[in-house]
Amino acid sequence: MMNPYSLILSLFMLLETKVSILPSASLVQTGISHLKASLNFSPLDFIWSFLTVNAKPLIQILVIPGLAFILVFAIIAVWFERKFLARAMLRVGPYYCGRKAGVLQLFADFLKLFFKEIIIPVDAERILFLLMPILLPTIPSLTIILIPFASDWILFRAGSLSLPIFFAIAGLAPLIPIFSGWASNNKYTIIGGFRAAFLYISAEIPLVICAAAVAIMAGSFDLVGIVERQKNIWFAIPQILGFLIFFIGLIIEAERTPFDVPTAEVELVLGWRTEYSGILFGFTMMAEYCNFLGWSLLLITLYLGGYNGPDLFGNSLYSSMFWILMKLAILVSIVILLRTVFPRFRMDQTLRLGWHYLTPLSVLNLFIVLALKTWGYPL
Amino acid sequence: MSEPVIEPEIMRISWGPQHPMSGQTRIIIDTDGEVIHKIIADIGFTHRGIEKVLENRTFLKGIVPIERMVMVDTANIGLGYVTAIEKAFEIDVPERAQWIRSLICEMSRINSHLYAFGLQAESTGYFPAVFLWTTVDREVILDLFEKLTGARWSFNFFIPGGVVKDLPDGFQKEVLEAVKYLRSRFEQYWDAMVENALFEMRCKGVGVLTKNDAIRLGATGPVLRGSDVDIDVRKDQPYAAYGDLDFKVITETEGDVMARTKVRYHEIGQSLNIMEQVANEIPAGPVRVNFPLFPRSKVGEAFSRVETSRGELGIHMVTDGGMNPYRVKINSPTLRNVHVFERLAELDRILVADLPVVINSIDPWYLDCDR
Repeated sequence: MMNPYSLILSLFMLLETKVSILPSASLVQTGISHLKASLNFSPLDFIWSFLTVNAKPLIQILVIPGLAFILVFAIIAVWFERKFLARAMLRVGPYYCGRKAGVLQLFADFLKLFFKEIIIPVDAERILFLLMPILLPTIPSLTIILIPFASDWILFRAGSLSLPIFFAIAGLAPLIPIFSGWASNNKYTIIGGFRAAFLYISAEIPLVICAAAVAIMAGSFDLVGIVERQKNIWFAIPQILGFLIFFIGLIIEAERTPFDVPTAEVELVLGWRTEYSGILFGFTMMAEYCNFLGWSLLLITLYLGGYNGPDLFGNSLYSSMFWILMKLAILVSIVILLRTVFPRFRMDQTLRLGWHYLTPLSVLNLFIVLALKTWGYPL
Repeated sequence: MSEPVIEPEIMRISWGPQHPMSGQTRIIIDTDGEVIHKIIADIGFTHRGIEKVLENRTFLKGIVPIERMVMVDTANIGLGYVTAIEKAFEIDVPERAQWIRSLICEMSRINSHLYAFGLQAESTGYFPAVFLWTTVDREVILDLFEKLTGARWSFNFFIPGGVVKDLPDGFQKEVLEAVKYLRSRFEQYWDAMVENALFEMRCKGVGVLTKNDAIRLGATGPVLRGSDVDIDVRKDQPYAAYGDLDFKVITETEGDVMARTKVRYHEIGQSLNIMEQVANEIPAGPVRVNFPLFPRSKVGEAFSRVETSRGELGIHMVTDGGMNPYRVKINSPTLRNVHVFERLAELDRILVADLPVVINSIDPWYLDCDR
């Protein structure tokens, strides 16, 4: 049995014989034998062998934490949010699509958005306008590949660079509202875009300082290392201050109530998303949930023990995934619950919160962690 | 309308009429970043010529179009028109009818204030939960209306000389039950919404209207009372049964959005007290005196003032001896308050984010404003 790797190898070998001045007879022989063998190639066998060899990365890319997980999370989170908020408002919520409780409503909405016309404003910057919503879900999705779902289940194992890479990728996020707000050529979108940029920057600095405190306590920038150090005690307990700051920063970064200032409906229609229609609007909405997912997973990894938890199924992989998804579900429910009980912060109030309170408190948290470390904690 | 030339660094935004929160008007704002320099209210999108329509109807038929001015507060508007007719014809209304009028007017005020309250919550950024709670609670009032008048909105229940019919059996008991239910709900609103720290952050010290400015600019209703001016037509020139009823005029001293919201909140409490009093103490007797279908008026004029939920409504009616009024001039509360709102940007620092909060604090009803 032969596979294309050896076909390519044989071709290289033959090529090398050509260019070399004195081709060695053995090399030619080997090349010819490989070529003969490659004639037995069958596509089914190739696919099967490819799948068996690369099963793990494929599952990681396509199922968890890749494409299917992100899409399913967005769909379930939106459905849950609509249903949950409807209960808070004395309504029923999605009801008709799907057998029970409107579970297929989101698929119906997605199809509707997909077939709707995309309207591009006359004065819009066409390329940027069309590019930004497509780029938008990509950036948060890139952060998710760094999160360990089990000790050996990481899509992109960046080692001790993983935490810096996360913030480097997430730091690109403010550019997109600015560009799309500017490209839409509308006054509401411009105001919304700049609000979003201000907001992200005011939240990101406390987040970085808190994450640095976690890295100091764990003695590692590696997300796996950070999780492994939380086997005995979650970092949320010694660093309760940092945990709360990170939680507020997460809500700001995910543009959720009470910090949904850039898309404040009663003020700016839909902020920087105002001009998007059809599937482009769908992308922007999905991106919001991707962003939310990325930061929630980072919060769980840094403070809530990541995938750590009692072994339930006698299989460390399954139980690790169970625990991280369980923590994610609880965290998401809490953040959605906030939406029913809070009005929106004003722009200046949010910035004051970020710069006057969160940033100094996160520095204080850093000093607390340094002191704990000096006194020999954690052991 | 003409749009004056603006400076290059100032951005002019047309807020409405196609905007989630603007209502049926256009508010032009000049902003420099987030700070608003100038507000121009471009009213008139819903002008329907109600004053002209009233000239072409007989006195009785006019009750129908004038109630369309404010659909959530039809009783108070209708009462203003009916009172003007009664003054023009010099009709005395039986006492029981006056009490029923007061009852319905207060129910209508609660209905309207609940709507304003929910909208105020939504404008500060509450996801519409509070708005839907108040909407559900309005159902209680609307059911009472349906039982009494046969219609939930715009019931044309007041006619010159009294009301259409007497209270149905057991109505007083239902009113008392509704009052009890609404009281329990209002305690929840106070805890969940008004005392919410974030709601206070958004409303305290925003859109401040001082006492002098409120009087100078001609504010009315809760906007005026929120600026510590003790004026209420129900107390100052009692109409219907308000002279016999026991209630307080609510004032707040701060003059900001929070003060106006609190005035509305406490006025709902006073209205509930009035409902309770009427249900317990309503006198017996006839509910209407005869009013001819096609009456001949005298030559003269009449002016009526009533306190609607948005402020004072004045109706000036001139009669020339015909079957229709010769001229009806309506002084509507929202028009006065919208002009106050226009001047607020000069009086206080207003941000773009404050705009929906401030405009909903005056409780605008643009159909009332444009007539």
